[in-house]
Amino acid sequence: MSEHQPKWGMVIDLQKCVGCDSCTVACKVENRTPPGVNYNVVVEQELGTFPNVQRVNIPRPCMQCDVPACVTVCPVNATYKGDDGIVVIDADRCIGCRYCITACPYGARSFDFGETYADEMQGADEVQAPEWGIDRGERGGIWDAPVGTVRKCTFCSHRIAGGEEPACCETCIGDARYFGDLNDPESKVAQLASDPRAFRLKEELGTAPNVYYLR
Amino acid sequence: MSLTKEPRVADATGPEKPTGLRRFLNESHGREPFLTNRNRVLWYGFLAICLIAGAWSVFLRFTQGLAVTDLTSQMPWGAWIAFYIFFVGLSAGAFLLSSLVYVFGMYQFEKIGRAALLSATISMFVALAFVGMDLGRFDRALSTLIHFHWTSPLSWEVRFYVMYIVLLIAELTIALRLHRGLVASAKKAQRWLRILGTIGIPLAIVGVHGGTGTIFAVVKARGMWFGGLFPIIFVVSAMVSGTALLMAINYWQARGAGRKPDKPLLTGLSTVLLGAILIEILLTFYEFIVPLLSFQENDTGIINIQTTGPYAWTFWILQLGLGMIIPAIILLSPLKRRLGWVVAAAMMVVVGIVGVRFNIVVPPLIPPIIDGYPFNNYFPTIHEWLLVVFFVAGGALLYSLVSEWQPIHEPESQTETDTEVAA
Repeated sequence: MSEHQPKWGMVIDLQKCVGCDSCTVACKVENRTPPGVNYNVVVEQELGTFPNVQRVNIPRPCMQCDVPACVTVCPVNATYKGDDGIVVIDADRCIGCRYCITACPYGARSFDFGETYADEMQGADEVQAPEWGIDRGERGGIWDAPVGTVRKCTFCSHRIAGGEEPACCETCIGDARYFGDLNDPESKVAQLASDPRAFRLKEELGTAPNVYYLR
Repeated sequence: MSLTKEPRVADATGPEKPTGLRRFLNESHGREPFLTNRNRVLWYGFLAICLIAGAWSVFLRFTQGLAVTDLTSQMPWGAWIAFYIFFVGLSAGAFLLSSLVYVFGMYQFEKIGRAALLSATISMFVALAFVGMDLGRFDRALSTLIHFHWTSPLSWEVRFYVMYIVLLIAELTIALRLHRGLVASAKKAQRWLRILGTIGIPLAIVGVHGGTGTIFAVVKARGMWFGGLFPIIFVVSAMVSGTALLMAINYWQARGAGRKPDKPLLTGLSTVLLGAILIEILLTFYEFIVPLLSFQENDTGIINIQTTGPYAWTFWILQLGLGMIIPAIILLSPLKRRLGWVVAAAMMVVVGIVGVRFNIVVPPLIPPIIDGYPFNNYFPTIHEWLLVVFFVAGGALLYSLVSEWQPIHEPESQTETDTEVAA
């Protein structure tokens, strides 16, 4: 074996998640996503019938599937699975057909309609997050990618490159989100992912997500 | 060659040489005009109004992008995709109808052969316009021909569409030259028509329209799309809508040109239409009964939205009523002997299939993809509708102009003798 190739994964402990949505907020701030583009959301589910009810919060980043349904349908190979396990979108190739959005079973992809927070926030468009390591400068009009293309959670790949964990994991007040290398059997995520409590969303579809939940 | 021909004797408009636009019109070649002068004013006036009404929305589409639609990231496809598959269906259906003439030798339909090929070609243009308008990056549309992804049905489709359009134009050109007596050998031209038509049948069925169905059928995340029956239903409803469209065009063009509609032709086509509708009803029955009886929640939730949701009328009235049941009843009853009813049935089908296409695209995207997400609510905005009006009118205009210029609708006349003279 030559150099170790990491496969990034995430484990989210649902018993620790309090549903505060700070991951969603941290994600929006870090990635400077425009209105309508959400890389991370917290889904609130109510289970059971009264009086035996329970509320579950399911934070949902991109699952970075091993068999990504979104990738197989892309007509131009604009989205593909990177060597580190992260599903990438090439905003300079995407034609904006949104086929991948219909195909993703997790609703993890957003289309950038070109909306802006400029009316609510000073300087909202002055800088964009260096997604996929590309600095795109100011946010532009409808012919300026990533506007008009599909966007998704990058696992904060620009932060990973700098040795940091994704913003959602760093900010989590309950420490519910773990991030790490699933290829490293000693890593916390690899150990938690094989915990009996671990499960993945829509396992039956065979998409093999790399985001695990602990029930 | 024919431009230099002497005007026919029957053409009593006078000896002056036609100039300008007139020179290109059919009647200056002694052929039957596409429309009478009065109907021309009405028809092109109507199209002009439609184009003007839609132009602003098209402009906004280009300046504001997809923000002019009611689409969201959870509801990624809507009216334009519905019209895209509608027009691909019209095209495939019209082409398959033309192959009845040129491949299977059902010469009783020969009169609509060229109209079928032309409407197939123009429907494809309109379909591509719709899917192009739906792209977030319209400017990158042609890059789909450079980058190929074999697991993506859409990637295959783009290539099939191009091949199909080339084939349609080639076949239409040969058919027109044959009709005008411009070919050296009529036998050879007919053979080419048969060859192109034969290549075109699998291309239209598997490549173009079955393939368009496959775009939806492979999406395992969405109930009612995912499944093997879907591409077949696409092809059958294409046959239904294409046949119905040609019946309507044939009837209204004859009326517009001040000619008596060709009753035997329309009656013959109505038999084809009825057969296709009956198969479509059968397939629709299985499409619904299998998920219903398996209580597959993924699918039944969507059936529930289709049949009882806010737009259930599109399912009951458009898709089932106008698209299938009422025309089937008309064509099975003694009413089928009345031309007016037959044409009404055909026009109902064309409108009904629009409902079919909407119900393919929209309801499966309505329910939340994960429990806890909200239900989507989509209704096309005024700009989405007006852009539809613009491109449909644009297609109709293109069709009319080609028909003014070339003998698309001229009834078969002296083709045989003409070609013999030429040969």
